[in-house]
Amino acid sequence: MTPEGSLLAAEGLRKAYGPTPALDGADFSIHPGEVVAVMGPSGSGKSTLLHCLAGIIRPDSGTVRYGPHTLTDLSDTHRSALRRTDFGFVFQFGQLVPELTCLENVALPLRLNATRRKAAEHRARDWLERLEVDDVAAKRPGEISGGQGQRVAVARALAPQPRVVFADEPTGALDSLNGERVLTLLTDAARDTSAAVVLVTHEARVAAYADREIVVRDGRVKDMAGRI
Amino acid sequence: MSGRTRPRPAAAGGPRAWARDLAMGMRFAAGGGREGWTRTLLTALGVGLGVTLLLAAASLPTLLENRTVRREAVAPAETERPVPPSPRTLVQAPLETAFRSEPVRGQLLRPDGARPPLPPGVTALPGPDQMVLSPALRKLLHSPEGALLRPRLPFKDVGTIGPAGLVGPGDLAYYAGSATLTPENGGHRIRAFGVTRAPEPLDAKLLAVLIVGCVVLLMPVALFIATAVRFGGERRDRRLAALRLIGADARMTRRTAAGEALFGALCGLLVGTVLFLVGRQFADRITFWDIIAFPSDVTPVPWLAALVAAAVPLAAVAVTLLALRRVGIEPLGVVRSGGGRRRRLWWRLPFPAAGIALLLLNGGIEGSRSTAGPFLIGGGAALFLLGVALLLPWAVDATVSRLSGGPVPWQLAVRRLQLSGGTAARAVSGITVAVAGAIALQLLFSAIQSDYLKVTGQDSSRAQLQSTLPSHDIGTIRKTISAFRETEGVRGVIATIEASASRPGPLRKGETFAPSTQVTVGDCATLRELARTGPCKDGDVFVVKDAGGQVEGSYIDETARPGATVDFAFHDGPDGAGKRPRLWTVPRSARTVESRKDPMGQDSFGLFATPGALDPALLEEPMARAMIQLAPGVLDAVEHARNTAAGISPLMSVRALRDTVRDGQYTSVRTGLGVAAGATLALIAASMLVTMVEQLRERRRLLSVLVAFGTRRATLAWSVLWQTAVPVVLGLALALSGGLALGLALLRMAGTAGLDWSVVWPLPAAGAALIAVVTLLSLPPLWRMMRPEGLRTE
Repeated sequence: MTPEGSLLAAEGLRKAYGPTPALDGADFSIHPGEVVAVMGPSGSGKSTLLHCLAGIIRPDSGTVRYGPHTLTDLSDTHRSALRRTDFGFVFQFGQLVPELTCLENVALPLRLNATRRKAAEHRARDWLERLEVDDVAAKRPGEISGGQGQRVAVARALAPQPRVVFADEPTGALDSLNGERVLTLLTDAARDTSAAVVLVTHEARVAAYADREIVVRDGRVKDMAGRI
Repeated sequence: MSGRTRPRPAAAGGPRAWARDLAMGMRFAAGGGREGWTRTLLTALGVGLGVTLLLAAASLPTLLENRTVRREAVAPAETERPVPPSPRTLVQAPLETAFRSEPVRGQLLRPDGARPPLPPGVTALPGPDQMVLSPALRKLLHSPEGALLRPRLPFKDVGTIGPAGLVGPGDLAYYAGSATLTPENGGHRIRAFGVTRAPEPLDAKLLAVLIVGCVVLLMPVALFIATAVRFGGERRDRRLAALRLIGADARMTRRTAAGEALFGALCGLLVGTVLFLVGRQFADRITFWDIIAFPSDVTPVPWLAALVAAAVPLAAVAVTLLALRRVGIEPLGVVRSGGGRRRRLWWRLPFPAAGIALLLLNGGIEGSRSTAGPFLIGGGAALFLLGVALLLPWAVDATVSRLSGGPVPWQLAVRRLQLSGGTAARAVSGITVAVAGAIALQLLFSAIQSDYLKVTGQDSSRAQLQSTLPSHDIGTIRKTISAFRETEGVRGVIATIEASASRPGPLRKGETFAPSTQVTVGDCATLRELARTGPCKDGDVFVVKDAGGQVEGSYIDETARPGATVDFAFHDGPDGAGKRPRLWTVPRSARTVESRKDPMGQDSFGLFATPGALDPALLEEPMARAMIQLAPGVLDAVEHARNTAAGISPLMSVRALRDTVRDGQYTSVRTGLGVAAGATLALIAASMLVTMVEQLRERRRLLSVLVAFGTRRATLAWSVLWQTAVPVVLGLALALSGGLALGLALLRMAGTAGLDWSVVWPLPAAGAALIAVVTLLSLPPLWRMMRPEGLRTE
């Protein structure tokens, strides 16, 4: 049953890669504007859970509900459309498109959503300013530091004003100072826009930025008290 | 004494340092896990495809030489004097025919004694009415379509000709036994089989074509090998940065990188050798431009094979070192110093300029002689085409730097090209060079082809086949003509019975022989094909003058005058004097008319008579000629006519009339280049596909991220298409201009003028079509790499 008022909820998710189970009956829910940290050791299934929640991959069984939609029943085309309009993503190494400038990278999700180029770049510039990296707008990802790149990636995730931001180890490649700055900017900006944030991490100091923490172990989700 | 010592810098260079670093690189490549092996496999596949083609090219001289040797070995030995009969001789006669467009080579053999010479590949001579034949001919005879050929070979199959007696596995050949063949009835006595003809030196223009062709065909292969050894460059650079971190200097890391490429190249050599060895087993099942070869004939010339084995690994090392010259591998990452730098034009232009200068300034080709050596021509063409390949990255850079805006796929493509245009340019450089070279070659070919096209004078619109009847028996001649007329698909027969007529009576003073002329008997329809007879009916006679003036008119005047008596009997020779004359009087009504070239292009003259005026039985030793007109649209009419001829005599040949014939060397060169062009195009297509897949693989993770954003497949597909299309359009434009420039230079060398645009346009179109096909084939791997699994890191 979907928890009352949740924006995104998953129930009984199972997913295996060959003989190896990555998720083994995982449940999850998040409310609008909430920041949930998904913790767990390497290989526990955190990223697989994130990919299932975001509709990037389809679980072998279980359901993911997002508002009125059951993601697990939607076609790839519909899930892609949802990811373009309602979700934002930040990955460990930013994964900016190397050949585009930072401004073009931030404008990219908007343009994929049929926003005109000038309007998209105008909004992208606003977000770069907000993330304090407007000075690198014309540079390519290869020409900026890791911290700057990660802030650009956050700007790219938030620019389409998503309802859910999925962040997979967003500070994993940064030093602590840069990491904290990125997390502050990400969570503040998300709260300002009432976006929910699913924050996958294995670091306790990162999880401290979340409203709630859950732990994934052996493919199952437990709360911090260890209850399944 | 302290146990600590100052760190010693690694040896800066020298063979030992090179060997150590190269070996380390090879170990990295071999021990790189699944990822490393995938990269090595792609490189090996790419290099292997190139090596296969190089080994195939290196086999071409052996293949052609072996075919010549085999062809000469089966020919009857030539002797200056007639060979007397002995137990070691035999009498042979050629039995040449053709089935559809394929020649069927046969010989009729009759041994003189117990130990006749055996043709190559034959263990025992077939007896009378028996034959030994090639496997290909047997297969054809047993096939449904072979039913049309069977009547021509009414012999019992008693054996197979071995490979030693065949030019190739597709050779249609047979030897048939005879009990009656003699030198008197069409045979030729021989002591042995096999001739050795001095190789004819290749015509200078054709040599130029051949050299340019080799350069054109092999340069894309070299370019592709150079591209393949750079596969996986981005990930390799990151790995090398880690090496720097633990103390390797810049030179060591470059040498280590070269070692990785060397490993891929060596694996490629192995893959190429295996592909070549496996592929050549199918040589006897593949026909390229009418050539089908025995697998054993597809053997590389040893020194060329050695050159390939040495050049490929060396090229791998050199290309890697060259590619890394502007890449600073630092301990904390890779810095591409060329990232913000524009490609320069100044050092690229001298290559094509020097190539053209070499071609134009150092002699030319006049007639069949060349003052420019083969190395000069080859060097000039190679320099020019290398220049074209070098200009392409600059052209791509210069163009894409000016592009901007547009929809997302266009923007992604343009930005990608701006950042890494070199990779895209390398992918299409092979096709650019191939198209440029092919344009130049086609221009040269079309300009010189008239030099190698001989007009025979035959007119295939008036008759399509020609046959000479070997019998002097008028009954047989009449039967033959009648048989041809009744053959399926024959519309008409221009049949003449010819003999000689001379002035009767003793020789006059000063004469060494009596004036004589030709007598031709045929119906009105036939005579109209040979002379401008005007109105004609059976019973008419004509005196035909040689319109060309090649024959002394007085001979005709003295013999073939209306009202004159002529003698058809031969009075020459020892028994001629006492022979009874065969007298006939030319009717006074005979009209004098002009001759007309017959469909064979020959003039006839003398006395022309219809059968109602002159009974051919009166002629002595008449000869008969038949020119056969085929009904259009009747399938296999030619084969039916050949069967008719074979039914009358196996020695009777039927030849097709041809308006023009091509020079043999020209045809050989064109065939050879056609074979190689087909193979090169196949390689280019395969190599482009491998290159595209490798480029997509390098970007797999990024593609997955874009998919995570919800990017449509079509957006990425269009982006890939644009990324290919932009360099392709530039490459083909460069190929067109470069090909024209090289072609015009070659035309000037050959002293030939005239630009035939019709041969130019199809080549860029073919190149574009090839790329379109390859791009479409690369879409399925693109779909696969857009799967979210690419996001997994654990």
